Amino acid sequence: MDLYTWSRLLAAAAVEPAAAPDHILALCVEHLDVSGAGMSVAGHDGGTVFTTATDTISRRIEDLQWTLGEGPCVDALSQGMPVIVSDLSNDPDLATERWPTFLAEASSLGVQAVFAFPMQIGVIKLGVLDLYRLIPGPLAPESLAAALVAADAGSTALLELRGGVAEADGVFVLPFQVQVHQATGMVQVQLRVTAADALLRLRSRAFVEGRGLIDVAVDVVERRLRFSEEDA
Amino acid sequence: MTMKDSALVGQETINQARTEEIVRAFVGLADTLVADFDIVELLDRLSRACVATLQVSAAAILLDNQKGRLVVVASSSEESRLVEVAQLQNDQGPCLDCVRTGSVVVSDDLTRDTARWPLFARAAIDAGFSSVVSLPLRLRDQTIGGLNLFQSGAAPISPSDRAIAQGLADVATIGILQQRSRHRSELLAEQLQSALTSRVLIEQAKGVVAEREGLDMAAAFELLRKVARDTNAKLTDVARSTVEGVAGP
Repeated sequence: MDLYTWSRLLAAAAVEPAAAPDHILALCVEHLDVSGAGMSVAGHDGGTVFTTATDTISRRIEDLQWTLGEGPCVDALSQGMPVIVSDLSNDPDLATERWPTFLAEASSLGVQAVFAFPMQIGVIKLGVLDLYRLIPGPLAPESLAAALVAADAGSTALLELRGGVAEADGVFVLPFQVQVHQATGMVQVQLRVTAADALLRLRSRAFVEGRGLIDVAVDVVERRLRFSEEDA
Repeated sequence: MTMKDSALVGQETINQARTEEIVRAFVGLADTLVADFDIVELLDRLSRACVATLQVSAAAILLDNQKGRLVVVASSSEESRLVEVAQLQNDQGPCLDCVRTGSVVVSDDLTRDTARWPLFARAAIDAGFSSVVSLPLRLRDQTIGGLNLFQSGAAPISPSDRAIAQGLADVATIGILQQRSRHRSELLAEQLQSALTSRVLIEQAKGVVAEREGLDMAAAFELLRKVARDTNAKLTDVARSTVEGVAGP
């Protein structure tokens, strides 16, 4: 499947934000070369709010990492980069050192490969998408690309869950253009709020005015539009 | 000393100054390749080194986002960034061809390449550029992105400048790929994604600084770079603490 078709499929699955995490995970298991998938959702304070998974092994792996405070998923969220371990039993330089307990538990469950992708927009950490496989081996390049796009779809859905507002045109595409990120920083200072809240305010404004997010962002960057507390 | 001799000495002095400048560019780039270096910072340095050392007006760097797209991660000027964005939005241009094929793409006269890349050539000419060279960030069979050099003068980018730029690009690429092989093969995907996240973070931080200090985005970026330099910190770390400093993450 080409990436365009894949992103349309993901967008359709994410129409209802509350159900989006489970729908996205199901699509990953159906279309990517993995045995199971899980998602951990971060809260405003960076802690984990909830986890969801496609099967019992995935669920166990997901919860285990947050209980132990170690594992690829934990590292992916804290470091803001994917953590890819295609052979847990033969990963010489990090798994045994970094995640001794997780590794033992994962192998007792038969998990041989883990691929964790952060769902993050710059400083805004939304969660982690985790894919597991019962046989070792790297993700094929097309599966890697598809997983990254799925993580973007997850970010979109999680942002909507936080803000409760849908993008004006219904489909919310990452990555944003730079002005959206620049405007996020500016609105943060104008309102003294977090980056996540600033982005949500930009989105609400776009939604209320029936305009694209990028148009509102450009107005902020060009200093034609300022946000103030009264608009809230 | 005859007049001819003094002319030769003068030429020699110019050559030596030029050589020293080029060596400094390579050393400066290599100097950023410390353990756990910041890829965005490295590529930002690369784009600036090209403009400072070579007869080029602007430089911009795109990275493969591994989702079938290229993303602008560094640019020496706003004009070159906009031309890159035009290239990406229109899905045509020398850098796309360069990354697809892994080989150098040259247009010595953009007005004669309006059939090859109609929308890109128009955007580049409108921005005041007359020629362009796209060099791959490539090591053996792996192309991770491209370096674009823009020239606004009538003279196209010289073959020797092109060779020096490719040398600088190679140093950066080897640095990125070596960092990976020291750990394990899959780190490339991790690093590239991390660099793209850093880029977003820096844009958010530019917004914070621009609003707080009443600066435009370019000046805000300069200020962030200065703070990173003065405190010997990574650009990405400075950006993160700037954004989180407003009201938490």
